[in-house]
Amino acid sequence: MRFLALLLIILLFSGSSLGECRNKDCMTTQFKFETMGHTFHYDKVFNIGTNWYIIFDYPVNNTNKTISFEFSTGISKEHVYDNDLVTDSISFSGSTFSEENLNLVLNVIITDEDNSTNGFNLNIDINKPPADDLFYLWGGMTVFWTAIGAYVLYISIKFNKLRDKL
Amino acid sequence: MKFEREVFGLLGFLLVLGALYFALIETGPAKFFTAPNAQKLFYLHVPSGLITYLAFLMVVGGSIIFLYNGSEYADRLAKSSTELGIVFGLMSLASGTFWMKAEWGGDIVSRFLTDMRLATTLAMWLLYIAYFVYRRQPETLQVKKNAAILGLSGMLMVPLSYLSSRYLRSHHPVIVGTEDQGSLDPSLRFGLYLGLFGFLFIFIFLFKFRMEIEKMERDIFKVKMEKI
Repeated sequence: MRFLALLLIILLFSGSSLGECRNKDCMTTQFKFETMGHTFHYDKVFNIGTNWYIIFDYPVNNTNKTISFEFSTGISKEHVYDNDLVTDSISFSGSTFSEENLNLVLNVIITDEDNSTNGFNLNIDINKPPADDLFYLWGGMTVFWTAIGAYVLYISIKFNKLRDKL
Repeated sequence: MKFEREVFGLLGFLLVLGALYFALIETGPAKFFTAPNAQKLFYLHVPSGLITYLAFLMVVGGSIIFLYNGSEYADRLAKSSTELGIVFGLMSLASGTFWMKAEWGGDIVSRFLTDMRLATTLAMWLLYIAYFVYRRQPETLQVKKNAAILGLSGMLMVPLSYLSSRYLRSHHPVIVGTEDQGSLDPSLRFGLYLGLFGFLFIFIFLFKFRMEIEKMERDIFKVKMEKI
């Protein structure tokens, strides 16, 4: 009973998701694109299940129109420049990938106002972290056996007491 | 048969072990789920839920017969089924809570208050807890009649809980009787049936055991009354 109560308390108060960091300080890798003057901050590891961000600093005299990010698997996103900002970012959902992939190419293409383009490639590792739902699986499974076991024990004790009385 | 009850128990246990083998080893982590491991609770969560409905419907049936002709057997059946319904209901609700926490996340209390399948199932379970508590007193005819009337509430609560995920606001998936039923993977269906029949046989084992205890209690009570 105490064990079940403890499990219930853990369930009630445990958080459901970890906080995600969208600051430059949290990014492990920095890349400066000398040709255009941009600086990109990103995490080289894309963890499946967690949103992945790439933060970019605009050059001082920005004349760009769009910036697109395209993985070699075909998944892409295009970002329209906001000239009022110095730093901007784009994110890919944690469910973008479902399988591990090392050195996946992310093609970054910057389009200028006159539609001329410049680009470069980044290599990203897609990582599949171990599932953290095993606690819930074994917690749930424990309930079945505990409930049946406790009930069998309860009626067995009751049965033996009554048999002695008869 | 001498060991009929034990055979049901053993068979049920083996079938549940088979369901676990299918769930945990044969099929591997589920695809298209946020919590691929916790999804394995499906193979026992659904059967325990269905057995809960069966138990509470038996309470309804026993209560109707008792109110109609005063059958002692029907009253014993209703009382025994209530206990089993509470046990299987606890299994269904608790395993569902673990699975829900892993798959949907968020706050459990607010889920139980806002999801109609969860709310109605919990209400149904609490109602039969009330029935169980009410019966823990000397069993006069009036107590039995009142309990039978309380037991009849399952006529409303069981269909309400079962149909709530179809017609009321609920995140709870609906499979039986929908287009999704045909799309169930055969291995998933096989594992589900193993779990369902496993729990059904365990239910029969426990029910027979509980009915025998109930009969013994009443026999002892009769002997005591005769002595007085």
